[in-house]
Amino acid sequence: MRVKVIAFAGFREILGKERELDVKEAATVKELLQVLAAGSPRFREEAFEESGAVRDYVLLMVNRKRIDPQQDLSRALVDGDELAVFPPLAGG
Amino acid sequence: MIEITDSEICLVELIKRARRDDAGAVVTFLGTVRDDEDCGLEHLEVEAFREAALAELEVIRQEAMSRFALKAAEVVHRTGSLAVGESIVAIVCSAGHREEAFSGCRYIIEQLKRRAPLWKKEISEKGERWVGGA
Repeated sequence: MRVKVIAFAGFREILGKERELDVKEAATVKELLQVLAAGSPRFREEAFEESGAVRDYVLLMVNRKRIDPQQDLSRALVDGDELAVFPPLAGG
Repeated sequence: MIEITDSEICLVELIKRARRDDAGAVVTFLGTVRDDEDCGLEHLEVEAFREAALAELEVIRQEAMSRFALKAAEVVHRTGSLAVGESIVAIVCSAGHREEAFSGCRYIIEQLKRRAPLWKKEISEKGERWVGGA
């Protein structure tokens, strides 16, 4: 299946603004992040702890709705989903 | 009305839009680019997840309208390259009385900072850094 990844701020500089990826059926959010890390050592370093856990400051949206990085990383994605990856917010 | 724009913010225009015959108070908040302790800030780059930020700001605006009985609330956030002293964000709230207008304005800026997907990068003599992030 095909999913879209969009990234902002520091993560945009590492991953690029937008890309589409082919991933296995029902891949989870964490598996998609691992695919991104496999293609970018810098992303792996910035987004993952040594233990393999996703760092606390990585913020995520699926289809423009915030997801809880502690609970929703095992959420299965479906074809056409959009994952947004970004650091803590700093508007205003 | 909510706007995210690369163009300079015109506060007078926002005040004009927020005025109502039944409003006795119009409160404005302007956030500006600050050079902390002369750290040599050259400019600021502001980035938005535009669609998500517009949607979140509209939710925040509606919350403020109903919680504080506002007559109008205007929110504009800049994106792009900003010089020291330029306006990053403007919020204008009108209400029957000043208390509601002040509270509404404060609510919107606090919630914007907490919830709207927007980011700032400082470009200074010392280099570049994303504010508060990776």
